[in-house]
Amino acid sequence: MTVSRSRSSSVTGVSHQLRLVARLDRVRLPLWVLGLGGTIAVSALAVPPLYDTPEKVAGYARVVGTSPVSHLMSGRQAGIDSLGGIVANEISQFAQLGVCLMVAFLVVRHTRAEEESGRAELLRSTVLGRHAATVAGLAYGVLAAVLIAAVTTVSMLSVGLPVAGSLTYGAGLALLGVVHTAVTLVAVQLSSTARGALGLAGAVIALGYVVRGVGAVQDNALVWASPFGWAQRMDAFGGEQWWPALLLLAATALLLAASGWLMTRRDFGGGVLAARPGRPTARRGLATPFGLSARLRRGTALGWAVGLTLLGALYGAVVPSIPELVESNPEMADVVGAAAGGEALVDAFLAYIFLFMAVVSCGFAVSAVLRLRAEEEAGRAELVLGTPVRRSAWLGATAAFTFLVTAVLTVLMGAGLAVGYALGSGDWEHLTGHVGGQVAYLPGTLVVGAVAVALHGAVPRAGALAWALLAYVAVQVMLGELLGLPDWAEAVSPYSHLAEVPRESWEAWPSLALVVVAAALTAAGIAGFRRRDIASG
Amino acid sequence: MAVIELQDVVKTFGATRALDHLDMSVVEGEVHGFLGPNGAGKSTAIRVLLGLLRTDSGTVRLLGGDPWRDAAPLHRRLAYVPGDVSLWPNLTGGEVIDVLARMRGGLDEARRSSLLERFELDPTKKARSYSKGNRQKVALVAALASRVDLYLFDEPTSGLDPLMEAEFQAAVRELREEGATVLLSSHILAEVEALADRVSIIRAGRVVQSGTLADLRHVTRTTVVAQTARPAAGIADLPGVHDLEVVDDRISMAVDSDQLEHVVAVLSGLGVRSLVAHPPTLEELFLRQYGEDVQV
Repeated sequence: MTVSRSRSSSVTGVSHQLRLVARLDRVRLPLWVLGLGGTIAVSALAVPPLYDTPEKVAGYARVVGTSPVSHLMSGRQAGIDSLGGIVANEISQFAQLGVCLMVAFLVVRHTRAEEESGRAELLRSTVLGRHAATVAGLAYGVLAAVLIAAVTTVSMLSVGLPVAGSLTYGAGLALLGVVHTAVTLVAVQLSSTARGALGLAGAVIALGYVVRGVGAVQDNALVWASPFGWAQRMDAFGGEQWWPALLLLAATALLLAASGWLMTRRDFGGGVLAARPGRPTARRGLATPFGLSARLRRGTALGWAVGLTLLGALYGAVVPSIPELVESNPEMADVVGAAAGGEALVDAFLAYIFLFMAVVSCGFAVSAVLRLRAEEEAGRAELVLGTPVRRSAWLGATAAFTFLVTAVLTVLMGAGLAVGYALGSGDWEHLTGHVGGQVAYLPGTLVVGAVAVALHGAVPRAGALAWALLAYVAVQVMLGELLGLPDWAEAVSPYSHLAEVPRESWEAWPSLALVVVAAALTAAGIAGFRRRDIASG
Repeated sequence: MAVIELQDVVKTFGATRALDHLDMSVVEGEVHGFLGPNGAGKSTAIRVLLGLLRTDSGTVRLLGGDPWRDAAPLHRRLAYVPGDVSLWPNLTGGEVIDVLARMRGGLDEARRSSLLERFELDPTKKARSYSKGNRQKVALVAALASRVDLYLFDEPTSGLDPLMEAEFQAAVRELREEGATVLLSSHILAEVEALADRVSIIRAGRVVQSGTLADLRHVTRTTVVAQTARPAAGIADLPGVHDLEVVDDRISMAVDSDQLEHVVAVLSGLGVRSLVAHPPTLEELFLRQYGEDVQV
């Protein structure tokens, strides 16, 4: 009796909380649905006209359906020899990662971020149960995932794909979002900061994605170790099976139970890990613009370094198996060209991996720079600029640290890939070549980071446009030709100007030009920053 | 010599005019109270003085320089405590103090440790675990531990308890004895009354009154509360009497200073049983200046 009463009261006020979330995100949620759902729909609609004959469909199954790059990025899609399978395969990478990241952002925003800011304290002092925020976060994450899935299914149905497959695909996508909503709800209990919770959730998403990819390339049971694999093995468009949905639901239930249990075992505002006393005085190097910039970003930088090195290593480990895969597939070898054998394929594969990882590392560059905006809005920038630190030094130090770490991350990704490759193949001759290959893409990443510097310096309100640029570049990389972009639109991505190393040979001039562009953008940002008002706290 | 000189300064944010032809000056060695309700433009004026905001028109001089152009060198000679202190959550209080003070050009170690003791601040805690009051203390210690010519305090005691407020007042008095100049913005009037040599009252982006407290009192009214043996008929008609309230035998009113002698004479003719007269508090100055629509 007592137990049931305390249960019912621990979620009191959920409806109020949900109404608040709806009010706060009345623009944000529609934007996610429009942006993410819209891009998925446009891609789904673009596919059928490209594969309008049985021959073209068969060709896709023969080439893309056996391509290790496709397996790594999108897994092994069922029914790849039908239009439905092709559509699913083309949108999977973007749709799956998109849904997972969306729920992570939205859920953290309304749980840990609110708690960290102290706003949740105000709410908790009203008639609101302990678990109300968690339940509201769950409901919100589920809603968002279902909306995206619904858009996806409707767009599939609208191009005449089979009903069963369209529904199954949508269900798998929604459940993938739901399970990562639960992952995020555990992460917000573990970390006492919103940033940390996002990092944890992001790491779980990345791990699940990479594990599924590696399992798909090697075609083994590893795919069953990842929620991405479960969703995919619902086999939409290829003899649908519903039981993997139970795995997703069971994992969700377990994670929710863990989240609720953790919630009852921590203080409001606290995390599971207790805070330790810190240094009573500052180290010498901390009291410089560069030292402070570095300190404020070192945790993030470390997380990225570990994550990207592992990502590189996992991808690298897959590469050596490619020639073998191609040999076992004569049709594939025909496509690539018999003379080139497996090597050309390996190079194409590496070029794509390098580009993909470079784009991922832009996430660090943009977030490290745009953190300045939060610093400024919180009134911490004025604490620093109220001392003799010059504005050019403050922005310049942040830019310098960001670019330096971005370069280090690039080398680490390349090194991870090189070592993964060497371990997989037993061949240690390509180490420097692979590191160099990754570094060839660095100028593009620097330009994206420098755009963030320029925006923050000159038009701080438009800082988020740097994320928009990154999203644009990412969509272009993931959906590629499918978007059918005109040349000028392709050229917006700085990477489009670089040679696709190692498929093409490296060229000095484009790299140099991009570095100059990055330097000019940084200088423009600093010049703008010296002329404008500093936002107040 | 004027340490701070603002002349005809205008600053707009979009359609809002935050500073509207503001004139103010602060002379060397004084504690200058800067009073005004929320949104009057106090913080904007201080941010202009720090060179964080660019003025639309007017001239600003700070320590003999232009705070927009020469911000960095001028900041060597001043320390600033914002009203709403936000700190880096993953740095300890001690680290923040050192970062700010060293960036400013160094700090007095002895003064740092004595201030930590006086303000009862634990420097090993991460800033995220500090209360508002403790964050305020971190910024205060960082400022007070630096030896500079000018201290800019923007509502520095808004999160402090009365004991710590008293510590702050003692610290400001020490600064004045050392010859430093202090600009103290506040709406805690008792604090300004206790510390300030001169006061500028700002409203809607303009300084509406400026001078020593004595100057301001001179042009205002004395509050008189009295009990009389006979009914206080006719008091309301006397010249210089305002805001008269009569409850039974108890009357309270505000009297113009130049009419005070006459009013007291009339009162004593009525048989005074008790009489309290005091100079106007800053609350009363405020109310008089702004009328009843102002929340202090």
